[in-house]
Amino acid sequence: MKLFEFQAKELFQAVGIPTPKGYVLESADDIGTAIEKTGLPCIVKAQVLTGGRGKAGLIRKADTRAQLESHVQDLFAPTRKIKRLLIEEAIDIDREIYLSLTVDPVKAKLIFLACAEGGVDIEELAAKHPEKIITRSVDIDQGLMDYQITNLLFDLGIVGDIAKQARSVISGLYKTFRAHDAELAEINPLFITKQGALVAGDGKFIIDDNSLTRQPKFQLAREYFDSCIEFEAATEGIPYLQFDGDIGLLCAGAGLTTTVYDLINDAGGKVANYLEFGGANYKRAMKAMELCLKNNLKVILVVTFGTIARADVMAQGLVEAIQALKPTVPIVPCIRGTNEEEATRILKEAGLEPLFDTEEAVLKAVAIAAGRSK
Amino acid sequence: MSVFIDKTTLVEVQGVTGKEGSFWTKHMVDLGTKVTFGVTPGKEGQSVEGVPVYHTVARGLREHKADAAMLFVPPRFTKDAVYEALDGGIRKIVTIADGIPLHEMIQIRQAAKSCGAMVIGGNTSGVISPGQAMMGFFPYWIERVYKPGRIGVMTRSGSLTNEVTAEVVKGGFGVSSLIGIGGDSVPLTRFAEMLPAFQADPDTDAVVIIGELGGSMEEEVAEAMEAKIFTKPLVAFIGGRTAPEGKRMGHAGAIATGGTGTVAGKHKALTRAGALVASKPSLVGPLLREALHIK
Repeated sequence: MKLFEFQAKELFQAVGIPTPKGYVLESADDIGTAIEKTGLPCIVKAQVLTGGRGKAGLIRKADTRAQLESHVQDLFAPTRKIKRLLIEEAIDIDREIYLSLTVDPVKAKLIFLACAEGGVDIEELAAKHPEKIITRSVDIDQGLMDYQITNLLFDLGIVGDIAKQARSVISGLYKTFRAHDAELAEINPLFITKQGALVAGDGKFIIDDNSLTRQPKFQLAREYFDSCIEFEAATEGIPYLQFDGDIGLLCAGAGLTTTVYDLINDAGGKVANYLEFGGANYKRAMKAMELCLKNNLKVILVVTFGTIARADVMAQGLVEAIQALKPTVPIVPCIRGTNEEEATRILKEAGLEPLFDTEEAVLKAVAIAAGRSK
Repeated sequence: MSVFIDKTTLVEVQGVTGKEGSFWTKHMVDLGTKVTFGVTPGKEGQSVEGVPVYHTVARGLREHKADAAMLFVPPRFTKDAVYEALDGGIRKIVTIADGIPLHEMIQIRQAAKSCGAMVIGGNTSGVISPGQAMMGFFPYWIERVYKPGRIGVMTRSGSLTNEVTAEVVKGGFGVSSLIGIGGDSVPLTRFAEMLPAFQADPDTDAVVIIGELGGSMEEEVAEAMEAKIFTKPLVAFIGGRTAPEGKRMGHAGAIATGGTGTVAGKHKALTRAGALVASKPSLVGPLLREALHIK
């Protein structure tokens, strides 16, 4: 789960990482309170989960109250669907640094990434100038050691009074990363102000989805998802992604569903939704179909090849879902795996035409969507 | 011979009395797997399909031997179960758990590395050497998929494995050993770490890897091929070629960001190393024939 910037900064503050004075604005009526808190000039930052906010014009500077009011009014325009703005004091910047902590799946360690030039796109920098990126691995059982921080600081060229602050920022970042089961904690940029203080300019924090059950502070909410259907699917525990085509996927198995997605694109079709009801969800064809039917579809493609997810159970579930929900579009079923003979019988009895080859099923669905077939 | 498990491997099963544990233990035994004992705290004295149950691994090991541990244990108890098996001296472990917390996966992998153990999983169907033995859950009775043969398979997926392996069989081949690496972002054992075993296995002529977007495991395979650590023919199928960047395609590990983890990058690295990459599952059989020079 990717947190909003203001939430990441709350986590930073709790471990003593300085952040700019700020106010989370949820209504234009509170502009006065925001200014009291931050002063002018200030920075207006839209709280959205997409990257590239600067380029998209979602981060703006306001020198006067009138400017701030106009930015707020524009950013809160209903079409933008932005619910919160983070208003922050403007910082007098001397230097910017990059600092993040993530996991290294190969070494099985946590890894700090740092760069003396902050504010950059780190992935772009890693591709063009890998030598500029400083790394330091940390053993998760041993914990962060002083010498590792010392190495980071000297490699970054941070010496003198500011080194002490930087030490506390690095150890704070490690502490909150571990405490909140993070997969990424990033401060980019980390400002060094003209007054010689460190301040976290931005904050990115991603919590491991497998750990959400032990992070009760962070629960699924509509605002973390692009669409209502994605949110509903997530609360049901059904993997679902929204696209804008007309072929609904009702598949099982993440890898197989992803492959079907590729095959449809290859064949010139367009996927409306990625949905898989395999694994623990294989008895839930009804809910899966319900989610699928929230899209404007021309055809529903069902591809499975399950083991524990028995083919006969999935076929029966599909038939019951069709009877209850009465979809008006054709269904192309390709259900294989454990007990597939029984599955085939169930599908035929319900008047469906079972297929056994994924690529054939995909071509048929794409042809139906294109109006070339029924 | 085979990779990881054969009919002589002695397996203990943790979580043996659970619904999945007991069901699949029966199938493991039916296929020929030597299951020596099972473990469920509080259930010592019971038996599952003729397999005696003990409270702990240590108590089972007083009466029996085990080379390998099969874990049918929920994600939040997996770390403890792996450490218990390691503590018992067991160095081959398979965990099917889907949803192990990320930080615990790092800890498990670190613990395994530091004592030279191999832990396979999580989020996998397990490991099977068709016709011999399995640890996990595979529909080995579906002959058009799990036919014994001389092709090694490694995979990040479950259902897609059935799909692609069926194409291996359709191509006129069978499977020597299949290793389910799993779909998590921190697989406890990585593709490249299994390659030396496939290289050494006289019963494996070629390897098929079933990869997907995200991470760097396919690139590491390419590196192992270029370093001549693995010199047998290799065919790959990689899902998620058309997936948009930043979208997590079902599996925790299936996400490409910032130009890394893309299928295009994996395809390029593997091709450069001499692997044949199939653009769709049905090409895996023909590419294997090409790689093995079979007309």
